[in-house]
Amino acid sequence: MAETAVAVQSDEHHAHEDHHGPRGWLKYIWSTDHKMIGMQYMFTGMFMALIGGFMAYVFRMQLAFPGISVPLYGQVSPGEYNALITNHGTIMIFWVAMPVLIAAFGNYLIPLMIGADDMVFPRINRLSYQIFFLSAVVLLASLFVEGGGFGGAWTAYPPLSAVAEYNQTDLGSSLWLIAVALEFVAFLLGGINFITTLMNSRAPGMKAYDIPLVCWMIVIASILFMLSVGPLLAGAVMLLFDQTIGTGFYDPARGGDPILWQHLFWFFGHPEVYVVLLPALGVTIEIIATFSRKKVFGYKLMLYTVVATGVLSFFVWAHHQFIAGIDPRMANVFTVTTLLISVPIAELCFVIIATLYGGSITLTTPMLWALAFVAEFLIGGVTGIFLGASGADIYFHDTYFVLAHFHYTFFPIAIIGTFAAFTYWFPKMFGKMMNETLGKIHFWGTIISFNVIFIPLFVLGMGGQHRRIYNYQHFPDLAGPEMYQLREIATVALLVMLAFQLVFFYNCIRSWMSGEKAGKNPWKSNTLEWTTESPPGHGNWPADQMPNVYRGPYEYSHPDREEDYWPQNEPT
Amino acid sequence: MSDNHDVNYKKIYFWLLGLLVVSVAGPFLGIGWVTLLTAFGIALVKANLVIQNFMHLRWEKKLVKWLLMSSLILMALFVAGVAPDVMNHEGNNWVNVAAQAAVERGLSDEQSEGGEAPDGGTEVAAAEPGVFSPVAQFNLICALCHGTAGDGIGVGGAAFDSPPGNFTDPVFWETRDDERIKTAIRDGGAAVGVSANMAPWGALFDDAQLDEMVEYVKSFRPQGQ
Amino acid sequence: MSFPKPQATLRSATGIPTGRLAVWWLIASEVVIFGGLLGSYLMHRLGHPEWADAAAHTNTWIGAFNTFVLLTSSFTAVLAHKAAEAGDGKKAAKLLVLTMGGAVTFVLVKSAEWAYEISHGYTITANNFWSFYYTAAGLHALHVIAGAIIMGIIAADAYRGRELQRVELIGIYWHFVDVVWIFLFPLLYIAK
Repeated sequence: MAETAVAVQSDEHHAHEDHHGPRGWLKYIWSTDHKMIGMQYMFTGMFMALIGGFMAYVFRMQLAFPGISVPLYGQVSPGEYNALITNHGTIMIFWVAMPVLIAAFGNYLIPLMIGADDMVFPRINRLSYQIFFLSAVVLLASLFVEGGGFGGAWTAYPPLSAVAEYNQTDLGSSLWLIAVALEFVAFLLGGINFITTLMNSRAPGMKAYDIPLVCWMIVIASILFMLSVGPLLAGAVMLLFDQTIGTGFYDPARGGDPILWQHLFWFFGHPEVYVVLLPALGVTIEIIATFSRKKVFGYKLMLYTVVATGVLSFFVWAHHQFIAGIDPRMANVFTVTTLLISVPIAELCFVIIATLYGGSITLTTPMLWALAFVAEFLIGGVTGIFLGASGADIYFHDTYFVLAHFHYTFFPIAIIGTFAAFTYWFPKMFGKMMNETLGKIHFWGTIISFNVIFIPLFVLGMGGQHRRIYNYQHFPDLAGPEMYQLREIATVALLVMLAFQLVFFYNCIRSWMSGEKAGKNPWKSNTLEWTTESPPGHGNWPADQMPNVYRGPYEYSHPDREEDYWPQNEPT
Repeated sequence: MSDNHDVNYKKIYFWLLGLLVVSVAGPFLGIGWVTLLTAFGIALVKANLVIQNFMHLRWEKKLVKWLLMSSLILMALFVAGVAPDVMNHEGNNWVNVAAQAAVERGLSDEQSEGGEAPDGGTEVAAAEPGVFSPVAQFNLICALCHGTAGDGIGVGGAAFDSPPGNFTDPVFWETRDDERIKTAIRDGGAAVGVSANMAPWGALFDDAQLDEMVEYVKSFRPQGQ
Repeated sequence: MSFPKPQATLRSATGIPTGRLAVWWLIASEVVIFGGLLGSYLMHRLGHPEWADAAAHTNTWIGAFNTFVLLTSSFTAVLAHKAAEAGDGKKAAKLLVLTMGGAVTFVLVKSAEWAYEISHGYTITANNFWSFYYTAAGLHALHVIAGAIIMGIIAADAYRGRELQRVELIGIYWHFVDVVWIFLFPLLYIAK
C-alpha cells in the first residue's frame, strides 16, 4: 500500500465533469452521489430512531405505571410489550446505529477525507441504500400485520422464534427476519464499497498512516461486519425455513439444536458491537484532536490496538451464553478472552486522555459530546467486566444489570457519537453553523437525564429484576415501593430526555434555515473535507483540482508554523 | 489489466477431471478412511488447483491471500467453538437427551427395518406447523423426566423423591387407565394422588390432543399387558 | 452503459485494480456465509451417524456429472479471461456464453434430480439431513443463477468490446461458485 497511482482515462475524466447527476426531485431517488446517499441513510436512520425512541417511551411507561393507558398509545398487552422491546432493540442497532454511524457518515466522509470524488461503485452504493430502505419498510410492515410484531427478543432464540404456536406472531416473525436479512445484504454491499474506496482511491501522496482515523475505523468496522455476519445469514435462512416450511434445524426433537442458533447469532453478535463502537470512537478522536489543537497521541498505537480488538472480538462470543447450557469448559475459555478484551479498550481511553493532556482545549458542542462519549462509555465498559466473569454472570445474566451495561455502551455509541458527529460536520454538510447555546442546552439536558435513566436500572438489576417482564406486580420480591420508585425515576428521566430532543430539532431547523454561514473550514481542522466548499459540490472538488496530500491528518500546533493547524493538502 | 500468466489451463482442467474420477471411485473400495481421504483430500486439491490457477491467486498480491486465509481461519474458529455444544450430545454436567434419543432411534430403525422408509423414518414425528404431533410434544415436554423411551429415566426427574412414572413397567399399568392418565397430564400429579412434581399441562392441550397424548403414553406399555 | 466513472474508481493505491479488489472482498464474505452453513451441517452430520441412511439416497452419479459440468464451465470461464486479456471481446463473449450454458445445464440437472427425490418422499422436511441438503445446494444454486445472469450482462458488453476487465471479475466469482460445489459434492454425495 506504499505507492499511490492515479490512472485517469481522459474520456472518462471529461464525462464526469459534465455529468451533474439527476436534477430536481428525481435526484432524491436516482442520485449516485455519495453525499446524497449518506444523507438518505442519515434521515432514514434518524426517523427510525424516533420510532425506536417512541417504543422505549411506551414500554417504560408500562413498567413504571403498570396497566396505565399510555398517552399516544393506549394499554399495553403482554404480547405488545414483547413486540415493543424486541423491535426497540432491533431498530436501534440495525436501523439507527449502523446506518447513521457507518453508512451515513462513512458514505459522506470517506471520499471527502481521502480526497476522492465519490465512492468507487456509485451505483452499487445507490443499490445498497435501496435495499436498506426496503428492509426498513419490511420491518415497519411487520409491526402492522395480523398477530402483530415479532416479540421474541432481538436475539430471536428458537424454539420461541421458530414455532408460531409459541410466539403467536406467525407473519410478524418472518417479516422481521426477512427485514434483518435484507439489512445485512445492504451493509455487505456497502462495506465492499467503503473498504475498496479506502484501500484504492486515496489522494496522491496519502500513505496508509496519513488516513484520518475515523476512515480507518469505519472500514475496519465494515471488515468486522463482513467476516462475522456470514454464519448468521446462513442461520437466518435456516430459521426462516423452520418458521415457514416446517424444517427442524433448531428443533431438538428432530435432531436439530437450538444452541446452534445461539452460537450463530452471537458469533456475529459480539463483533457487531465493535462494528458500531469503532466509528463512534473514530468520530470522537477526530473531534478531540481538532479541539485540543494536538496530534493524536499514538496514531499507530491506536490503529494497531483497534485491529487487535477487532481480532479479539471474534474470540469472546459465548460470554452471552454462559448460562444457556454451553459446555462449562468453553465458559472458562470465554471468560479469559472476554476479560482480556477490556485491556485494549482501556488503552484507547488512555490514548485519548493523553491526546487531551496539554492541549489547548475549546469546549464547543461537538467537543462536549466527544468527551461525554469517553466518560459514559468507560462506565459501560467497567460494568461489562462483572458480566464477563462467568461466575458473576450466573447472577447478573438476564437482569437489568446487563441492560444498564449495554445501554451505557450503546447509548454513547449510537446517540452521543451521532450527536458528536452531527454537530461537528453540520457546517460542512449544510453550509451553516449550529447555535452553540442551544447545542449546549441540548447536550446537558440529554447527558444528565441519560444517567438518571440508567443508574437506577443498575440498582434494580443488582436487586434481582429480570429482563423482559412486562409487569413486575406479578413478582412479590420485585414489586416493593423502593423498586417502583426507581422505575418511576428512570421513566420520568426518559420523558425529560425526549423533551430535550426538541431543542435539537429546533436548533437543526433554525440553523439550516437562517444560521450563520459556515466557511470552508470553521473549526480550522486539517483533514481534506475542510478544503472544499460547504456543502461540497458534485465531485467534491473541481475535476482538475483534486487534492494531493503532503502530511498526516493531525499536524496541529506544529512548532515551525505560525498557524496552529496545517492542512494535509498544503504543499510543504 | 492482469499480467500474462504462463499456465496451461487445459492441463489443469484434465487434472481436475482425473481427480473427480478418483474421488467417485474411492467409495467403491469400501474402506472407510480411504473414502474420506479421496473424497475430502481430493476436494482440497481440486479447490487449490482452481483457486491458484483459475482465480490466479498464485500471482495475486499477498493482501488477498491473507484475506482469504483469515476467512477460513474464522470458519475453523467458529466450528471449534460450537462443536463442543452441537456435535457432542453430552459433556461436563449436561446431556442432550433429545439428540441422543434421535440417534438411538435412527440406528435401531436401520437395524430392524434394514433401510429407511422414504418419508425419513428416523423421526416418527413430522412437526409441520399447525399439525399436532404427540411424539414431538412428548419429547419436548415429558421426556425430560420420563425419558424418550418412557422408562422414567430422565435428567429432569433424577433428583425427585419419588421417581417419574415408568411406562415400560407392567406394574405401572396395573393401577392406571386412560382416564387417570388423562387427568394426570391435564391437572397434574396432585390431582391423581401422586407427587406434585408432575406438573399440570392442561393449558397446552385441548381435549382431542390430550387423548392423543394418552394414546402415545400407552404405546410404551409392554406387549401382552 | 454511459455512466461516467468517478476518478475514485480508476485509482489504485494498492496496485490491485478496484474491481478485482472488490470481488475478492465479496468472495471473502461469501466464504463465511457458506462456511457457516457447511460448518453447521458438518457438526450435525458428525453428531448424527443415523443420517447415513438418508444420505445413502443421494445420487452420486448425478452429483459427479454436475461436478464435471461446473469444472468444465470454470475452464471455459478462464479461457474467456485469457481472450479478454488479449483484447478479443467477441471470443471472450462466446466463451462466457458457453459458461452460462454450463450453468443452465447444472440447474436443469439439479431440478430433475430434486423432482425425482421429492416425488419419492425425500422432501426438505423429511428429516434434518434433507433439510440441510436442500438448503445448502439451494443456496449454491441461487448463486449459480445470479452469477449466470450477471455473466450474461458482462458477455453482452464484452461482445461490443466494452469493459473487458469485467470478464476476469465474473470469472473469479464463477470459480468460487465452483469451489463451493467441489466441497458440497463430497459432503452430500460421497461421505455416506
